[in-house]
Amino acid sequence: MEVNLNPEKQPKQGKPASGKKQKASEKRLGYLLVAPSLILILLIAVWPVLQSFYYSLFDLRLNNPTKSEVTLTYHIDLEKYLNSYPFLINVLEDEAGKANGSAAESLNGLVKGLKEVDASIQDDSAVKKQYDQVDDMLTNMEPVSDELSSVKVDKTDAIKLDKTLHKVSAQVKELKGLKNEEDALGLSSSLNEAVIKPNFIGLDHYKENLTDKRMWMAIWNTSAFTLISVFVELVVGLAIALLINKAFFGRGLVRATILIPWAIPTAVSAKMWQFLYDGQNGIVSRIFEKVGLVDNATDLLTSNIGAMFSIIFTDVWKTTPYMALLLLAGLQTISSSLYEAASIDGASKWKQFTTITLPLLKSSILVALLFRTLDAFRVFDLVFVLTGGGPANSTETISILAYKRMFEQTNFGDGSALSVIVFVCVAIISMIFIKFLGRDLLNDR
Amino acid sequence: MNKKAGPLFYIFLAIFVFIVMFPFLWMLVSSIKPISELFGDKAFTPFTSKPTLENYVSVFVNYPFLRYLWNSFVVSGITTVYTVLIASFTAYAIARLKFKGKTIILGLVLSVSMFPQIATISPIYILLKNIGLTNSYLGLIIPYTTITLPLSIWILVTFFRKIPFDLEEAAKMDGATLMQTYWKVILPLAVPGIFTTAILVFIAAWNEFLFALTINTEDKFKTVPVGIAMFEGQFTVPWGDITAATIIVTVPLVIMVLLFQRRIVSGLTSGAVKE
Repeated sequence: MEVNLNPEKQPKQGKPASGKKQKASEKRLGYLLVAPSLILILLIAVWPVLQSFYYSLFDLRLNNPTKSEVTLTYHIDLEKYLNSYPFLINVLEDEAGKANGSAAESLNGLVKGLKEVDASIQDDSAVKKQYDQVDDMLTNMEPVSDELSSVKVDKTDAIKLDKTLHKVSAQVKELKGLKNEEDALGLSSSLNEAVIKPNFIGLDHYKENLTDKRMWMAIWNTSAFTLISVFVELVVGLAIALLINKAFFGRGLVRATILIPWAIPTAVSAKMWQFLYDGQNGIVSRIFEKVGLVDNATDLLTSNIGAMFSIIFTDVWKTTPYMALLLLAGLQTISSSLYEAASIDGASKWKQFTTITLPLLKSSILVALLFRTLDAFRVFDLVFVLTGGGPANSTETISILAYKRMFEQTNFGDGSALSVIVFVCVAIISMIFIKFLGRDLLNDR
Repeated sequence: MNKKAGPLFYIFLAIFVFIVMFPFLWMLVSSIKPISELFGDKAFTPFTSKPTLENYVSVFVNYPFLRYLWNSFVVSGITTVYTVLIASFTAYAIARLKFKGKTIILGLVLSVSMFPQIATISPIYILLKNIGLTNSYLGLIIPYTTITLPLSIWILVTFFRKIPFDLEEAAKMDGATLMQTYWKVILPLAVPGIFTTAILVFIAAWNEFLFALTINTEDKFKTVPVGIAMFEGQFTVPWGDITAATIIVTVPLVIMVLLFQRRIVSGLTSGAVKE
């Protein structure tokens, strides 16, 4: 998409409007009018998808302070560091003074090691400046901003600090019976939290997910829901479209009726059906039980198959009328003279359907199928409200799983990986459809 | 094909309409039942001896339902106005002006309309959280653009293409500039199409769930679909309130659909049907 605001041939000033000038200004105006939409689409739709992919390569957890941001380098949280480091040194020196012989020696060794690491962190003048500033602020009890608190450090220093701290806790544990053992261990572990390591993990989330049973179960649920509901909607929708493709009294009313289930928010209709499917007091579950569709009214929302059936049934109720409407519009473009000619030639109704209606309706059907399939594949609100993915994850779709990872477990890295998987599936489905539809969908009329 | 409608046809039609409308009718009946009749044997009777409005009162008294309605209205209204405005420029350019790369742009618009919302949510959520826009109207209006902008461009392009080119030529002959042609000739003719698009965009924004659920978590900024989905009682599910709330949001929709059904259908089928 080149957004060319400067057409090659600038119109010459002063000359009367020539064809060329008009063309150039038309081109420029064209790009100018398209630009705002293009920029918005790139910013709010294309960038997030790419960013989702980027996030999916990190161990990103919003509730864990050391992993709440994407980082490729080592950092130290100075506020945390300075709130623990001096006290840890004090505790260790204090213990060394009380201990004897080898214990004192090893404690002094630890203090020395820590001080060495601290010195090498402060070696960098920029770090040193920030270090002192934060130290002063902490002494004066001033609040330290996150930005000021975080400082980038050498990988070697960070790893050395990490190792030294492990050594501290290991040795303190070994020298059983230290008076302030708990303090020393607590300080060393909170000091460890001050070291922020890069959380880049490459394709690990994908590896885990692609071998995860729950992920495949979600893909299976989503595919089953999509295939069955779209198929039923197409067949029933086509039948209804064929039947009502004639002039009759009350057309407008019927059309309005058809639109209502489509227009009502999915979340609201899901809540409504939850009431109708209720095992004790729901009218629909009672009817289904009476006609023998289910053994027991409570099966609908509490058994695996029942829950999946409920979701598909609700989706069919909500979207079949809409499908019928789209196909009806396609049917109305077929000239009736074709059918007249066919019946003069003695073609049966079925023959007319297969040789006239279906071929001429092909592109309408494919477009309707494309949009419905994609809609069904990313299903979220219906399942979220009606079953929440249950019982026992039997209706958990891939979007629901991604949502749960992100917003219930605050694991945004893993959730992003799942959402990229949804995106790839959707891309594959649309490519298959577009191959059938060809450029039909986009060409100028 | 038999184009005459017989009595059998009307019977079929009545059954079809009844099945489609049954859930709403049942909700309507349930919403005026006293709560005690929503359980037990009386739960299955299609009428009530003691009609009451207590469920409707409860919806407004026990929940900030008016606030939900207002939030939905503000968010959907602003989203509609601003996306349709921007989309109308773009659609006009794509449908009427000659420049390179139109097919690619239209292809981009179409593919973005197929994006699953879940694939964009994590960066959008983290960004809005960092700049402090979660729990605000703007926090929903911005992400809603991903849904509404491609939709409106797509529909509007079809509408703009239908306007006869002769009019534009005539305006050009009279010496009007391109912008004058747009404002004085094309736009007035496109008003019905723009209105249709606005209705569809408004419905799409009104019904959106995933962004509304994750971005605006405070009661003060919840929209209607999220609000109703989150209705919770202290011990049991408040079915009485839910039935009443459902009817409250459905009635205006029914009126709107009755008034504008012709337009909505033309908007839905444009782009999907070859003429």
